[in-house]
Amino acid sequence: MTTPLCLSGLDLPRRNGELAFDAPWQSTVFALAAAVIEHAFGGDREPFRQQLITAIAAEPGRPYWESWTAALEALVPTLPE
Amino acid sequence: MSSGTHHPAPILPVEQRVAALEALLTERGLVPEGFIEQITRRYESEIGPMNGAKVVARAWADPEYKMRLLADGTAAIAELGFGGPEGDHMVVVENTTAVHNVIVCTLCSCYPWPVLGLPPAWYKDPPYRARMVREPRALLAEMGCPLPEEVEIRVWDSSAEVRYLVLPQRPPATEGMTETQLAALVTRDAMIGVARL
Repeated sequence: MTTPLCLSGLDLPRRNGELAFDAPWQSTVFALAAAVIEHAFGGDREPFRQQLITAIAAEPGRPYWESWTAALEALVPTLPE
Repeated sequence: MSSGTHHPAPILPVEQRVAALEALLTERGLVPEGFIEQITRRYESEIGPMNGAKVVARAWADPEYKMRLLADGTAAIAELGFGGPEGDHMVVVENTTAVHNVIVCTLCSCYPWPVLGLPPAWYKDPPYRARMVREPRALLAEMGCPLPEEVEIRVWDSSAEVRYLVLPQRPPATEGMTETQLAALVTRDAMIGVARL
């Protein structure tokens, strides 16, 4: 189940390579969390990580990026002004 | 029972929830123009196991670099220009004939992004997260990495504080190879510890 990646300019193949994202919303929500961590929490990953742990524990069978989305939704009300 | 949960069932499809988050966070000024495209591009094409492969190859080729890598993973990895989110506290664990290391994140999906990129799907799935701690030898065998009984397995649980990277054993008959050739032998799975080279 590996998808070949186009890596022009890189001399190394991406062994066992697989696309990190299956759909655009997944890369979007990934980047949104990165934005919140960087711009609202000054690079501190821990608040998001705690929400992610909680979201995964709440529904262990839920697809990963949906848990990621739930974690970000839960984090939003706690954002520093 | 329609009640009894603290979380109301999501009404909207996940795509719409993500679009709503994007609109909200953009309105609050947290998502600069082009940020999403920039992050996506970086993780799809610039950051991945090829970075970790260069670190491993350097350690195989240069004994002094290897010593620095095992002593202070973060600093030695930064020497090759790799660092950033999820790579602040890197610990590199070395495989030997007697010891096999494997990494997991039991609570979520912590992973050494700067050297391995984003984790594969199975790394984030409950069976891997639970079983690698409970029965690593059986799970490794199922994943195509059977280990002799005499090999000690060390399972490293990643956390907010520490991210691990496995330094695989250098394959035999590679003495004459250049670093670039060596790097091409290194796989992502070997650096997670679910494969041997």
